Amino acid sequence: MDDMDMDIPLPEELEFLESNSHFAEQQEEEDRHYYFPDLDPTAEIHESNSQQSPPPPDLAAPSAEPESSGHKRSCPPSPSPPEEEKRAKVRVAVEEDSSAAAADEDWLRYSPPPVPEGEPAVEEMAFEKEKTLSRYASEIDGECMPITAPSGNRVYAKLNRFQGEERVTKLDYNGYSTELSSEPVNVILERLEQEAFAKALEASSEGQSVLDVPEAQMVHERLWVDKYAPKSFTELLSDEQTNREVLLWLKQWDSIVFGSEIRSTSDDVLSALKRHSSIVHNQKPLNSKFPRMSRGPRWSNGRRYKNSRSMDESGSSKSIQDIWNAKSRNIGPPEPKILLLCGPPGLGKTTLAHVAARQCGYHVVEVNASDDRSTATIEAKILDVVQMNSVLSDSRPKCLVVDEIDGALGDGKGAVEVLLKMISSERKPDAGKQSLGKGQQERKSSKKGSKTASLSRPVICICNDLYAPALRPLRQVAKVHIFVQPTVSRVVNRLTYICNKEGMKASAIALTALAEYTECDIRSCLNSLQFLFKKKQALNVFDIGSQVVGQKDMSKNVLDIWKEIFHKRRTKKIERKSHRGKSFEFDSLYSLVSNRGDSNLILDGIHENVLRLNYHDPVMQKTVECFNNLGVYDLMHQYIMHTQQLPLYVYLPLVAITVHHIVSQVQKPTIEWPKSHQRYRTMMMEKMDILNTWHHKIPPYIARNLSASSFVEDLISPLLHILSPPTIRPVAFQLLSDKEKNDLAQLVSTMVSYTITYKTVKSDMLPQTQRCEVADGLALSLVPPISDFINFKDYTSNHNVLSVAMKQVLVHEVEKHKILQVSNDKTGAFTNGGHEVIETGTNNIPLANTNHATAVDMKTNENQANVLSQQLNANPTAVSPNLNSDKSSIAADCGKLLNMGNVKKPSRTSSSFFDRFKKVNVKGLQSNDRSLPEEATLDKDRYPILFKYNEGFTNAVKRPVRMREFLSL
Amino acid sequence: MLWVDKYRPKTLDQVMVHTDIAHNLKKLVTEQDSPHLLFYGPSGSGKKTLIMALLRQMFGPGAEKVKVENRTWKIDAGSRSLDLELTTLSSANHIEMSPSDAGFQDRYIVQEVIKEMAKNRPIDTKGKKGFKVLVLNDVDKLSREAQHSLRRTMEKYSAYCRLILCCNSSSRVTEAIRSRCLNVRINAPSEEQIVQVLEFIGKKEGLQLPPGFAARIAEKSNRNLRRAILSFETCRVLQYPFTNKQAIPPMDWEEYISEIASDIMKEQSPKRLFQVRGKLYELLINCIPPEIILKRLLYELLRKLDAELKHEVCHWAAYYEYRMRLGQKAIFHIEAFVAKFMSIYKSFLIATFG
Repeated sequence: MDDMDMDIPLPEELEFLESNSHFAEQQEEEDRHYYFPDLDPTAEIHESNSQQSPPPPDLAAPSAEPESSGHKRSCPPSPSPPEEEKRAKVRVAVEEDSSAAAADEDWLRYSPPPVPEGEPAVEEMAFEKEKTLSRYASEIDGECMPITAPSGNRVYAKLNRFQGEERVTKLDYNGYSTELSSEPVNVILERLEQEAFAKALEASSEGQSVLDVPEAQMVHERLWVDKYAPKSFTELLSDEQTNREVLLWLKQWDSIVFGSEIRSTSDDVLSALKRHSSIVHNQKPLNSKFPRMSRGPRWSNGRRYKNSRSMDESGSSKSIQDIWNAKSRNIGPPEPKILLLCGPPGLGKTTLAHVAARQCGYHVVEVNASDDRSTATIEAKILDVVQMNSVLSDSRPKCLVVDEIDGALGDGKGAVEVLLKMISSERKPDAGKQSLGKGQQERKSSKKGSKTASLSRPVICICNDLYAPALRPLRQVAKVHIFVQPTVSRVVNRLTYICNKEGMKASAIALTALAEYTECDIRSCLNSLQFLFKKKQALNVFDIGSQVVGQKDMSKNVLDIWKEIFHKRRTKKIERKSHRGKSFEFDSLYSLVSNRGDSNLILDGIHENVLRLNYHDPVMQKTVECFNNLGVYDLMHQYIMHTQQLPLYVYLPLVAITVHHIVSQVQKPTIEWPKSHQRYRTMMMEKMDILNTWHHKIPPYIARNLSASSFVEDLISPLLHILSPPTIRPVAFQLLSDKEKNDLAQLVSTMVSYTITYKTVKSDMLPQTQRCEVADGLALSLVPPISDFINFKDYTSNHNVLSVAMKQVLVHEVEKHKILQVSNDKTGAFTNGGHEVIETGTNNIPLANTNHATAVDMKTNENQANVLSQQLNANPTAVSPNLNSDKSSIAADCGKLLNMGNVKKPSRTSSSFFDRFKKVNVKGLQSNDRSLPEEATLDKDRYPILFKYNEGFTNAVKRPVRMREFLSL
Repeated sequence: MLWVDKYRPKTLDQVMVHTDIAHNLKKLVTEQDSPHLLFYGPSGSGKKTLIMALLRQMFGPGAEKVKVENRTWKIDAGSRSLDLELTTLSSANHIEMSPSDAGFQDRYIVQEVIKEMAKNRPIDTKGKKGFKVLVLNDVDKLSREAQHSLRRTMEKYSAYCRLILCCNSSSRVTEAIRSRCLNVRINAPSEEQIVQVLEFIGKKEGLQLPPGFAARIAEKSNRNLRRAILSFETCRVLQYPFTNKQAIPPMDWEEYISEIASDIMKEQSPKRLFQVRGKLYELLINCIPPEIILKRLLYELLRKLDAELKHEVCHWAAYYEYRMRLGQKAIFHIEAFVAKFMSIYKSFLIATFG
């Protein structure tokens, strides 16, 4: 055993020495640590057999002992420094051994419990280690020999022996305590230590991995969109003509921008000289100014200005002329001071603005109108660009790029307003200067000019939607360039170049499909490619839709949607591609229609334009199918509105897709905006209003039996025939026959009962189809305008049209009839009217004999019309029974008869001498029953004279007067 | 006045057409109580004439003295307050109105008017009927919600308010309302009855009618008494004395539809369909109901067709008319019918003549 103990520490010492010298040898040490526990268990077994179990407080004592023993043994040796150093190293090694031993103890505790077969294996391992120890001992001995071979050998052997014993005791104590009393506690502690150790290991490993990964990402993770953005003019993908025009527009600013900046910096002068081939006259003043700056040191701006003034004054006339020429040339900025680039996203609008401005020597300042929305913020930025220059030596004039300007606020807010103010402020001072007004006005204008800033730098605005409402005032001022999509081949070439550089495998066909799918959106293409590249996926032609490549959610113009619906793209003949094309087409159409959201308008457009297409449909089955689908849309939409099941809106775009499948053609369709339905609705409402208004005006005893539909269906067409009879003549009332009078009365009563009349309308207002006398400049038309309801297009109705004279007569009669009707209503003489009708009926019977006499009387009346009017006026003065008085009385009777005829509906009574006589007789009989016999005798004696007198007085004078007349007679 | 108003019967005794119905109504009203009534029948058959005569029988000549009111109701419907305006005819004992004029707010009108009549019921009922009458026109145009609200209201206030409903088509009135009313069917008059009325008017006007003239007018009128009388008066105005073969002037919109049918028969192509669409829009603009257009178009097309296609064309006309009533844009469905007819006719021509 002693020999064994002497051999064990030697390899330990060797290990420690080797660890200090070499890093790689640490692994070997670890391996040897694993071998050490094999030795210890044998010692433990022996000691455990010999000794009894000690109590727990004994553990503290053995731990204290090795320290004291170490100190004691260190005191006796000589105080030489190298020896002390060696001992210190030995102590350090001992401590390390103790820690390693602790770990080994942990392992040992687990090994004893297994089957006793393990023990012989352990013993075999121990023997092997002894052999190895002997080798190292020889080496150590070799090192120790030159210093103090005998004392060194002795000291090391002794220390190792004591330490080994102490370890054995520790092991024994620990083992006994765990086994007997507090095994679970110790087990728990061990587990905790192991867990802590494992966590520490994981943390260290994680730290290492974290350190590596972000560095790699930082190096390689630059976006392809930024990495491969065009740096020069030739790399731009957009249209060549647009690129050149933008560049030319920027060049037009050079006379203002670079001319005025010559004095400030020499670099600008140099760049201007290099770029422009200017006239010799321009070159001379530049050259002359340049040496001044080179001669003198850099002074302040004020001093430079003074020097320039003095030179100009002292200079010759040529220099003065050159200066004037320069000034005249500087007054030449491009007329549209703002450039507006519009187009769909991803076509390179912003890139073009940046590249072109940089090419022309500007420093680009970008302002995003969607970020800076208020006027104050963006005005400050714009003023900075326009009025200030950077202090750096290599400064360039600034060019303002306002991006996403259609996102700006409209109605006097946002970026657009600021730009418009600056442009308008320039014009006002010019107007003020031009006008040779008073001095005060000039002063005011000068003040205003000084206050407001003028636009002396180019401004490029970029937007997606040219027709956004916020851009309406800007469109009128700016120069507009519309970006069209670049060709697919050009985009594919660029994508191929980028894929080759990045080492991504993608075929030209796949790239073509990607470009088509994203509508030549280069930004979307690059982002998709980079994403797929990072996922280690190849670009697949057939799975572009299913892959993460997505389309932007944007709503298109309605006209474009209709074109997409009616236009079929040429599909290739390969079956697979055609299959992909169909599903792709369906998805794109569905997103188009559903994103628009206004399905009513889309379907109206389809309905309006579907019949203009030239599709092959021999038996019109396709047309029927289209209209059936439109009907389905109408039913579904009505159902959604009625039941308020709005989720069903999802199915409405399918109608448009079905129509697309039925009638789409390869040739481009001509689309018109749907107007007919709206026009139909508007005009129908107007005519319905006319009907309702007319319905309310008609007296209720007639209107209650009619409804609006029966008006149009049954009434208007016959009524127009009735209102314009062909038999009526525009002749005086007196000349009409009985039949004609009856017809006229009937017509007038009809017009009155239905509140129809004629009114004068300007001839311009009348439609051309109506017959009207243009010479008069006036035309009478029906009010309400009933004839409009039969004014169908390309239809000529066979209704008779009355002449203007006849219409005027009717208007007059209708007015008269209304007045009489009002008066009759006031008196409320319905029953009396009935009686009168009966009386007139009875009187009509004996009229036949006296018709001729009445005719003669009428003729005489007409012949003496003027005389009659005069005599009517003179009637109250004349009292004597003269011929004149008789005639006047006859005329008055005629007028009354006319009125009575108009009032009474069955006005068949013809005015006759005997009718009037009989009426008077009847009235006389009714009123004066007592004086019947006297009147009879008077009548018999003086028949003609008595009748005349009675007739006149009964109509004009009251009863007392009548008595006087009787007395006089 | 027009003859159609002049010779309108004012009492149940004077009724010439539907004499049996008038007789039954008279007996119904002679007793001191009458149920809710529903008059249904086509336009021009005399529904409103019978209703007016019935009211006169109920309330005496005072029922004819009506005034027009443009009333405004303020209605509190839940959290909203609505102002509804409607024109009504009212007398001391009855109110006439067309609630469908109020559009989709017709349910409130119906309830409020009946409640108001119930509130203002007469206190003294001696010698008078204890209820008022509300005449509702165009009940088939009421929305379904309005008809449902009417159903409860007419039950609740039946003691004070009796309804007389008037509509063209009873199928559009809900069964709940139909079962609460006494249904009076006013069918279109037969041609013999129309001839009888025309002869009566001729006698009154002192006109000499040639034999067969009245029959021709009756035939042209499509069993519509209003149209027949108006045509009669038109013939009188255009030419009198009458001749045996005098031309009876047609309705202008019917002539226009006849032109459309001719266009359809001449050519069947999308271009022609486009022209037909323009003409259909003209008819719709002039307030002619789309159902009438479709029906008349079918009639005109059937006159020009062979017997083989008539059944099929009638089927498709019914199909598209049904869809038109379910939907909202009538032009879609009328045009679909025209396209379908063109397709069928063209197939027939190709099959027949090669």
